[in-house]
Amino acid sequence: VSSFRIDEDTVEGGIPVIEAHGYVDFDAAPRLKQAIVRRVDEGHSRLVVDLSSVGFIDSTGIGVLVGAMKRLGDSGGALVVVCPSEQMRSIFEVIGLDDVIPLHRSREHAVSALARAA
Amino acid sequence: MPSARSRERPDAGNGTAPGRHFRDRELRLVAAPEHLAQARAWVGAAVAEFGLTDRQRHDFVFAANEAVTNAIRHGAPDADGAIAIAIAADGDGLSLTVSDCGAWVSAVPDLDPLAEGGRGFILMARLVDEIELSAVAGRTRVRLLKRRSPTPGAGGAGS
Repeated sequence: VSSFRIDEDTVEGGIPVIEAHGYVDFDAAPRLKQAIVRRVDEGHSRLVVDLSSVGFIDSTGIGVLVGAMKRLGDSGGALVVVCPSEQMRSIFEVIGLDDVIPLHRSREHAVSALARAA
Repeated sequence: MPSARSRERPDAGNGTAPGRHFRDRELRLVAAPEHLAQARAWVGAAVAEFGLTDRQRHDFVFAANEAVTNAIRHGAPDADGAIAIAIAADGDGLSLTVSDCGAWVSAVPDLDPLAEGGRGFILMARLVDEIELSAVAGRTRVRLLKRRSPTPGAGGAGS
């Protein structure tokens, strides 16, 4: 039984938002990756991944975000992450990724950061 | 759940209150990703019973999830397709041991900050107070220990 689910949304400028729900573990991480890859394959170079409704993200889920960020960054795009949970932010800090992956407390902040990156 | 058998052992005469009445226990988990949620719930219930702070509980369950994930990803299940997870009171702390029948050697942490993998071990090591890996004759074990009162400077991500 997995409570993981993804909702797709878009924000101003047609930027896709991948909104994950539930637990991003080794079971769910491939589905998060698929959702990101599909958007990139459609030609999007800027993406928002919203973790506001995620209770937990493990090392495999974090690996998917890092891989996507690297891939998009290499082609002049960007990926930003919405992560208001202090507990989850602390995990990114523990492994020294808080300075590497742009984490934002709200979707609004994430979108304006993407606009600046454009 | 039909996929796992749980057995509880009588109190092993462990240390001090308030974990005094904690019963050591073992779960045999079918080694498949879809059972990770079950493992987390089982570990979470055990930690709640043992009694740690919210932060310690979060860190312990997180580290346990990484250890079980490693066993599922890189280890080998037994003839029944299962791996074993044991939780025991140990001094003033709680230990978790994940055993499988494989011979995986923990990945050397990749120092590239943008590597996709290799963070599980680092996370485990930083979220608990002790971590011990052993591989003997077809048995790989990871043991994690979280103390109630951590040694200053050792393990744990603050709190």
